[in-house]
Amino acid sequence: MAEVTREGAGGPGSKPGLKARAVERMARAVAGERLDALQRRLEDLEAEVQECRQLNIRLAEVVDLVEELLLPIAAQDEGKIAAAVEKYNRTI
Amino acid sequence: MPEPAPTRVARVDDSGVHLTSAQDTVVDTLFDGRRIWSFWTLRDTRPGDAGQVAEWPPALRRFLEGTTQLSVVEHVSGHVLFDEEVTLGSSADRIAVVDSSGRPLGIDKSNRITTTFDTRDRDQTAPLLDSTEQVLSALLEAGVDAFPVYGTLLGAIREQDFIGHDSDVDLGYVSRHKHPLDVIRESYRLQRYLRERGYSIDRYSAAAFKVEVLEADGAVRGLDVFGGYFLNGRLYLMGEIGTPFEEDWVFPLGTCTFAGRTLPAPARPEKLLEATYGPNWKVPDPAFHFATPRTTYRRLNGWFRGTRVNREIWDGRYRQLRENLPARRPSALARHVFKAEGTMARLVDVGAGRGADPLWFASKGVPALALDYSRGAANAVQRQADEEGLDLEVGWMNLLELRSVLAQGARVARLPGPPTLLANHLIDATDQRGLEALTRFARMTLRAGGRMYADFETLRPGERPAPPGPRTATRPKNAERVLQTLRDSGAVIVHTTQVPTSDHTEGEGSERPVVRLVAEWRK
Repeated sequence: MAEVTREGAGGPGSKPGLKARAVERMARAVAGERLDALQRRLEDLEAEVQECRQLNIRLAEVVDLVEELLLPIAAQDEGKIAAAVEKYNRTI
Repeated sequence: MPEPAPTRVARVDDSGVHLTSAQDTVVDTLFDGRRIWSFWTLRDTRPGDAGQVAEWPPALRRFLEGTTQLSVVEHVSGHVLFDEEVTLGSSADRIAVVDSSGRPLGIDKSNRITTTFDTRDRDQTAPLLDSTEQVLSALLEAGVDAFPVYGTLLGAIREQDFIGHDSDVDLGYVSRHKHPLDVIRESYRLQRYLRERGYSIDRYSAAAFKVEVLEADGAVRGLDVFGGYFLNGRLYLMGEIGTPFEEDWVFPLGTCTFAGRTLPAPARPEKLLEATYGPNWKVPDPAFHFATPRTTYRRLNGWFRGTRVNREIWDGRYRQLRENLPARRPSALARHVFKAEGTMARLVDVGAGRGADPLWFASKGVPALALDYSRGAANAVQRQADEEGLDLEVGWMNLLELRSVLAQGARVARLPGPPTLLANHLIDATDQRGLEALTRFARMTLRAGGRMYADFETLRPGERPAPPGPRTATRPKNAERVLQTLRDSGAVIVHTTQVPTSDHTEGEGSERPVVRLVAEWRK
């Protein structure tokens, strides 16, 4: 298997079937604007959930970098700091 | 219950295989007795004049010129549905589906053309098996218990061998960590461990990467390594799995036999295969498609993905070109920078592609650094610079990986003299996240002086941004929004102007308006 890069937030889309469309029409007749508002809210919530998930990568990257560079910096050894920066760049 | 009507193949022509079928069945298409392509008779067909038609996959079309003994065979039963001499296109030659070295090719389940295992003999697969054992052992040393997954595990358990229609080896591991943040940090650590031991790594996501192994025959082989972890009773494994799973179905690892070698395996491999391929995993399906639930996509995307936007497009463009030296013709922006700046301590080209501009600067005596996220794109330029003894370095930076921007930023900031940054059609090739990362890089590297010069295509007045297409590498930007993002990051916009259509160093030019901006970050 080759890893497929799915960068979009969603997954594979599919057109709603006959039954789903009938249900949608019925719900719209009953709930009207409220249904639209709920759909919008659901989309907003999904986007917010993804934003939270995406923090994992950002934070992991910062922690990884700090961990690798902090020790040579704490030792205040100019040569070791330069070497640590070079090595970090070389091994990512 | 009456038997469904059998699948009948009416004819095979330039458009594809014409058939009638009432029941979805997976069939193989053979050219002169060799499997080339497999498809499902309902899922992969559209209505045609004689029932249904399975159209030739685009990747195969360029080979379809000539004559072949064409057979269509039910994959599971072996029942022959069609077997005739067929001529496609206008050539009188024998159809040969082979690469430039004459190696047989076939279509894999993702409709890509590749060398599948059914065309390789034991001698040819031995180096791959050696590499597999070598990488498994390196991962074990690095601290994770890896084992074959996906098609490789399926082959090991079902056939104790490679699956003929498969094309690569997949490895995976289940992290002992319980939080995506720690899983990502572990994946970075594994990458560093393998890099230090000389392996080239190309990262797919924050939890999966490809290890490139140089084999005894000189070929470079990529082995995919997929990370996984348990969360609330579910196993998540890149890139398709998110399913209720028991930890003791994985640990402690057992063993499996694969092409005569003993390899590690999950404690209950059949459970993982069922989670991967469904309850029918024992029935061969050379055209298998994953039906991964939307919730699983969203989780894996949210936790681990988003760092490779448009990489496939750029890698595809450079794959054919990267070993050829680009024309020594600088971009319009490069010429402008040279004229405006005169003497420069260093030129840093962000999004340098094949590196034509940095090579030109280096040949004019300006030390140059070419950065791009497409690995190897500037191979030919690096070789040429080395031959000529020019001060040119090719480095890697991905605007969508914060750690690479921070680390490269720290490194460039330490180099002597204020650098001049060049971003030629980079802003229109990245998204808002990438633009913000570029401003971070500029802020880090230009603190003590120096400027960034950028050309980018802009939207026409009143024009709305087009939705991203699958093959669109660049998209014109709203110029005011770009400038605002720069200002928000502390930039002083020294100059903006609309220039006549400027040339892209890579790709085709266009008739769109182009904004040229010059900015400083001295706060």
